[in-house]
Amino acid sequence: MERPIAYDKLAREDRFVRMRARETSELRMAQGLPPMADLASRESIRERMHGIFVGELQAMEGAGRTVYDFPDAPWEFTMDMARQVWDESRHVEIYMDLLEHMGGHIGEFPESTILWRCACAEDAAARVAGVNRGLEGLACDVFNQLIHIARKIGDPIIEQAVDYVLADEITHVRMGSRWLNELTKGDPHRRRQAIEFQDTIDERFNLGGVRQDGAHDEVSISIAREARKLAGFTDEEIERLVKSTQRSPVY
Amino acid sequence: MTAHPLAGHFSVDDAARRIRHYRYAEERTMRILGGWIALTPELPAKLLFGRHVWDCAQHADLWGRRLPELRSPAQQSEPPNEAFVDFMALVETAEEPGRTIERVVGIYRVLKRHLLAEYERHLAHANPVYEPPTRRILQRCIEEERRHVAAGAVVLDRLVTDDAARARAQAWERRLVERLAAARGLGGDVETPALADVAPDSVRFQGDLVALDSTFEPVGLSEDLAQAVDAHARALIDAERSRWAADVAPEAREAVAGEYAALGKLATSEIVAVARIGAHRVVRVRLDGPERSWLVQQQWRRADGQWRLFTATIVRSDPRP
Repeated sequence: MERPIAYDKLAREDRFVRMRARETSELRMAQGLPPMADLASRESIRERMHGIFVGELQAMEGAGRTVYDFPDAPWEFTMDMARQVWDESRHVEIYMDLLEHMGGHIGEFPESTILWRCACAEDAAARVAGVNRGLEGLACDVFNQLIHIARKIGDPIIEQAVDYVLADEITHVRMGSRWLNELTKGDPHRRRQAIEFQDTIDERFNLGGVRQDGAHDEVSISIAREARKLAGFTDEEIERLVKSTQRSPVY
Repeated sequence: MTAHPLAGHFSVDDAARRIRHYRYAEERTMRILGGWIALTPELPAKLLFGRHVWDCAQHADLWGRRLPELRSPAQQSEPPNEAFVDFMALVETAEEPGRTIERVVGIYRVLKRHLLAEYERHLAHANPVYEPPTRRILQRCIEEERRHVAAGAVVLDRLVTDDAARARAQAWERRLVERLAAARGLGGDVETPALADVAPDSVRFQGDLVALDSTFEPVGLSEDLAQAVDAHARALIDAERSRWAADVAPEAREAVAGEYAALGKLATSEIVAVARIGAHRVVRVRLDGPERSWLVQQQWRRADGQWRLFTATIVRSDPRP
């Protein structure tokens, strides 16, 4: 099997419609909609959930590729990645069920592969920095907010299920921090490159000003300061992320 | 071997060697399944692999931790022989698009059934007085491999939908079994490697099956859009440009015509996906010809009270089986 595989080899059933995130955002904005689904209505929560569902699918696929792509990595690293595959497979199931709970279905909205592309870094350290710290950090933000919204609209099914997913994501960020340190021990150049890769992912997933430091019901994606601290991000890292959201161009 | 309670079948060195073989098979299976997840379109198979990567990792880890207790280095894998390496390499070759059946057959019809048979054989011979640490790992692996085999059988059953697919599955299984026999099995010591059977009602495997009956739901497809998409496809099948061009927004006609120029002779069409972007709809239509199939992604918008096509992109083209 190829190591790593090309981006476009990501396989899907025909019922999935794939589109570039930018194109979908532009088509939404041309209709007077926000660039991505907010959490203002059940309809938009459903659309956000579909986005999370395909994100979890891609996270499972990315972690699976990491198990395959780095046979010479430390065994404990492989074990962590294999565990993550299992966790993500459960998250896929959870979000499929939540989608149904919200009256939605698989394929109802287009899928963008932006997450998967980030999971294709050629260096293992860059991959854990980008995926486990960048993307799973984003997941902490999104899920923390979703739990808050679920509580607000009185939906304990969403609230409890997503709370368990958030607990897993925090664990995945911790794994990422551990392996970023261990894989780059004694190699400051590799470490710097991995962190720069994570920075580009953080920047990209600020989504042109969609992610911000603010109240859950005031911004589209709010930075989950407490969850991030629990996951092992330092205050300095959180502040750096907040600053980066302030300089991201708005769509 | 005598009936004495301390009589044993495996020496410490033999047991360690076998465990290194088990670890080799489990680790390699874990990596192959992990690599295949992204390459497998069908959700039930994709999620089956996703569920089992972690089980295989834990099996490999348990065996790897047992090794130092048997005077062998920890976490070491060792294939029984080169022929077994060839067998695993053959299993892994099913990586091209459209070979999910071969993937499931390779892992769940052949490799895991053989691994299960080897674990059961080892357990039957492992001494209950001085080999309980190995026996406990065997018992756990046996229980989980039985679950895997049973769940794999259900997923395979859903994938094999016609005689041609069944013939493909059987041919691949025969080829792999021959290669496994050339290796004399995972122990490297039998003429005919055993494949264990698992009665589905003897195992609880439902937790391993996800999205088994999930199919395309044309919920976002209104009746008028369905009619517009079908009429457009019929015009393409009839190769009547003026008819299909009338559906296309004027500013998009040239680009759409350029894309459709790559289509060959067509016979039938089917809508296979509909996604929503606000009021717009993105539809995927499969167009089948006598020799090839094309998957076309179309973007439809309402304009002047009717559905208009704004973009069309061929996302895949495959030869007909």
